[in-house]
Amino acid sequence: MTEPAGVLPRVTGLAGYLLAIADDELILGHRHSEWTGFAPDIESDVALSSIAQEEIGHARLFYEQAAALLGGSADTLAYGRSAGEFRNAILTERLNDDWGYSIVRLFLYDRADAVRLEALAGGTARSLADLAAALRREEKYHLLYGEQWLRRLAGASDEAHARIQGALDAAWPEAVGVFEPVEEERTVVESGIMTLDAAAQAERWRREVTAVLEELGLRVTEERGGPGGRSGTHSEDLTVLLGDMTEVWRAEPGATW
Amino acid sequence: MPALWQLLGKDESDAAHLFAVFRQDTKNDPHVHVGDVHATDPEMALVLAKEQFARRDPCVNLWVVPYTAVAATAYDEAEMFEPAIDKSYRFGGSYREQQRVMKGPRRPSPPEPRRGTQGRRGG
Repeated sequence: MTEPAGVLPRVTGLAGYLLAIADDELILGHRHSEWTGFAPDIESDVALSSIAQEEIGHARLFYEQAAALLGGSADTLAYGRSAGEFRNAILTERLNDDWGYSIVRLFLYDRADAVRLEALAGGTARSLADLAAALRREEKYHLLYGEQWLRRLAGASDEAHARIQGALDAAWPEAVGVFEPVEEERTVVESGIMTLDAAAQAERWRREVTAVLEELGLRVTEERGGPGGRSGTHSEDLTVLLGDMTEVWRAEPGATW
Repeated sequence: MPALWQLLGKDESDAAHLFAVFRQDTKNDPHVHVGDVHATDPEMALVLAKEQFARRDPCVNLWVVPYTAVAATAYDEAEMFEPAIDKSYRFGGSYREQQRVMKGPRRPSPPEPRRGTQGRRGG
């Protein structure tokens, strides 16, 4: 059954699923934005800042869809929830640490996001399928940027390669966690809104990213996934991030500008 | 004939990482030099150029050219571009067709509305 454009099907679990995507994009977009003014060169600074804006823009679009089911607005969903209510993957909230980690994370996350969007783009909820198809066009550049930076860092000096391997070791279990199913994901899959369930998406992602990593002489040392964050359990990093991000909103709730 | 990187006072290894970026707005436009990027290689230069120069402006194609590949005239020879005698005949400014071609917009503009009278655009 295909829904008419602009109308979301009332499927249990869908609002939580949309929130998880929106939260991923918002939190990682915020982390990317912390590089503004600090990236290794001005060109990469401008490009990553632009990517950050786009991720936050994507978050807004998914929050609007979620708000249509939950009530409220994109802003109240983004700024008005506590850390325990966030459904983002823990991977996205981690501190940037260094450029190598940020690039490895960007590469792993955007590859995961691409698989997720593809599953939505082929699904039966037309407004979500159209949204996913539109976002995939923009995400193409994010994939390119992440992979080209990764290739250069992994192929530079021995030290650079070792640091990228270290970043990969740190990021991998939490990157697998991006595919931790949200609550009642099963009903969303059965409704046809996404064409692949989380396990099948994870398998596909793993195949795609390991092909690139192996080509670059990088090893996946830990196969298992860590905690994902989809149930609302997060690290202290998220609490600190939300404190920063919502400071202005909390200072004058309801203010418009 | 100096290399451009010499004119700019750069050393050659620096210039090898400096790329001139050329943007084409539509398939009917020429590629225009819009600025430079620093990058390790041409492929990365294209990745970075996309966000620096095609983020807001229309674009169908980008070129990047390493500065080491560009030959240039010397600034102290710029007087060779100055005409020594009156050569205004080369401008052909009194030809209506030439005015249309030279002043035309870079992008195709919407068709002009039909006019009831002829000759209003003369002169």
